[in-house]
Amino acid sequence: MKLALRELRRRPNRFAVATLILTLIALLLTFLGGLLDGLERGSTGALRVQDADAIVFAEGAEGSLVRSRIDEDVRGQVAGVVGAEHVGGLGSVQLGARLDGRGPRDLVPTVLFGYELAATGLPAEPPAAGEVVADESLRSEGVEEGTVLRLGPARSEVRVIGFVADSQYAGQASLWGSLDTWREVLAANRPGARVGEGTVQALVVRAPADAPDLPRAIDEATGGATDSYTIDGAIAAVPGVAQQRSVFNQIIGVTIVIAIVVVALFFALLTVERTGLYGVLKALGASSATIFAGVLLQAAVVTAIASAIGITAALALDALIPAGSIPFTVTPPRLVTSVVSLLVAAVIGCAFSLRRVLRVDPATAIGGAQ
Amino acid sequence: MYLALREMRRAPSRFGLLIGAVGLLVFLILAQQALQDGLITSFVGAIRQQSAPVLVFSTDGQRTLQGSVIAPPLEEGIRAVDGIDAAGRIGQGTFTVRVDGDDATSDAAIIGAEDPSLGGVRRVDEGRQAEAAGEAVGSAADFSIGEQVQIVPVGVAGAEGPVLVVVGVVDDAQLQVTPTLFTSWADYEAAARAVNPEAEVVLPNVIGLRPAEGTTAAQLIVAVNATSEDADALTREQAATDTPGVGQVRQSFQVIFLLYGLVIPLVTGLFFLIVTFQKSASLTLLRAVGVDSRALVRSLLFQVCVVVVGGLVIGTALYWPLSQQTLGAITLRFDPAAVGVWSALLLVLGLLSALVAARRVLQIDPIEATTGGGGR
Repeated sequence: MKLALRELRRRPNRFAVATLILTLIALLLTFLGGLLDGLERGSTGALRVQDADAIVFAEGAEGSLVRSRIDEDVRGQVAGVVGAEHVGGLGSVQLGARLDGRGPRDLVPTVLFGYELAATGLPAEPPAAGEVVADESLRSEGVEEGTVLRLGPARSEVRVIGFVADSQYAGQASLWGSLDTWREVLAANRPGARVGEGTVQALVVRAPADAPDLPRAIDEATGGATDSYTIDGAIAAVPGVAQQRSVFNQIIGVTIVIAIVVVALFFALLTVERTGLYGVLKALGASSATIFAGVLLQAAVVTAIASAIGITAALALDALIPAGSIPFTVTPPRLVTSVVSLLVAAVIGCAFSLRRVLRVDPATAIGGAQ
Repeated sequence: MYLALREMRRAPSRFGLLIGAVGLLVFLILAQQALQDGLITSFVGAIRQQSAPVLVFSTDGQRTLQGSVIAPPLEEGIRAVDGIDAAGRIGQGTFTVRVDGDDATSDAAIIGAEDPSLGGVRRVDEGRQAEAAGEAVGSAADFSIGEQVQIVPVGVAGAEGPVLVVVGVVDDAQLQVTPTLFTSWADYEAAARAVNPEAEVVLPNVIGLRPAEGTTAAQLIVAVNATSEDADALTREQAATDTPGVGQVRQSFQVIFLLYGLVIPLVTGLFFLIVTFQKSASLTLLRAVGVDSRALVRSLLFQVCVVVVGGLVIGTALYWPLSQQTLGAITLRFDPAAVGVWSALLLVLGLLSALVAARRVLQIDPIEATTGGGGR
């Protein structure tokens, strides 16, 4: 162990290129993971912040709010399962927002939600008519408390009275108001999509007590007129999310395989180079296990250094990327996953050198192999 | 060259591992190139395939078909602009549909055009254009001729949606990675009313325009945009490339390509640097017996070429079957141009990466063969 660490300290150049390659791979893993997280966060935040146990869509809506419509009859059936006070309507409409001081064509994409049961961070009572709580990401557009946004072609005015974190939807910043505000703005700007009194796009449901499989109970109560999901289920049902996750995870998987090959290649070559030295060490009594542990330690240290640099670069990238250009988000779980994956790849890659270490004959130290 | 080849034959696992690693990296780059192209085509293919040379969105629509709504006063203003040969309403919505009476439902984007030459498909790859009421042309990746697609009025109790019969299909014609149908305005309007009986009116999402003779598309765009700040006119290609999300997809993939593009030459360079270190005693001996240093560098570069070309062959061989697949709703394609460009780029980068090893070969002093220094 000591020898392995000493070699790393005294001959860092020998490990520099491998560290650089692993740094790039660490950055790649973090970037790919950050892109996946950013895309998911931007498209599903409004569902993730729901303080609820189930979200109910109309049957056949395929997890799409825009296509779902739930009338008062169905709502009544859902209320029969959990009680009317535990059911809240939800509606959405995507509209461009005009801000004072901006050009007539410089709009901010937003999605206005109407709600009854508050999501995390929202006031329990929905804001008064014409008032909304805005997603934090709108601060980067210059929106502050008191700012008036003019939504859609009808320029429907809404005033921002507060902010809520991490609640984007479909890649757009969210605005949260009452169902009445939503209905009014929807009818004014999307006459083809207007809904009547009592109709909503989805229901947010809280279980009064521990209710195993609440979504199934709701769908049974409505006779199959609804498709109900847990919050995680609703996120996975958002069109494109599952596919996106699968494709990115496959790319990340192949990148980890490449990391394994790079580590295997580098340490196999290094082991070949040090065969004579290992012969001497074995002749002096060092076991194969001790020598391999040294190789393993070197791989782990090189990988740890590469991961640290890669993560720093990813954080710098996160800070440098202009808001809205690339949906990239760095989260601690993602960083930990990337580092652990790379360390495991290093250990597996190193294992390819084990056979060579075991085959080293101490007799080579006195020229026995020559 | 003879020595270079013999060395590779005698250390097959060492060079095989490197060729395999380069092959995997090349495969990843080509696969992601195909994914990027397929994703963008699936996002905006329908806009490229539709027939209107100029599309007028509402500014509020942010250049998305479904987000744009053209109110009657704006439509009147657009139609009154000079230099228009023909104008037609185009509507688009995403619906839940049932194909051929299946129990399972799926998504479909429906594009309805008042004038088939302004918002219909420019050509069909199989079958024919929609002519009668209730007919549609579908995206080839998702629909077959003769299929009956019924609109499902989600959440509207007891309602039956209209049925569209697919009479033709067209390649690369999806919108927002969703199966897409092109039909008439009347059929689109019927579908929109079926899913929302409370709708007061069904408005067009965009207006398709054809410039009059003597007027270019660019001139028409300027004229339309001058009529109202609520009008956002674009050519067909601009509408495709400016669709929100397309730029982000390109930028994200460019960062990924850059990183992979850097890893390949670094892996190759590292390998040959270490091999040169290991062979320094033999190389010194070769120099001492009169072998020209340039011959040794040529051998090194030859090995680099073999490794990179081997990796390119493996990567392309892996890419070929993948490029024939469909990933979800995304159709992948084999792109010979991408293979050519990446091959040339990676070969050059691979050769450049071996320069450090080549420099080391050139620095070998034959005298060290007599002092034992070559082995250091």
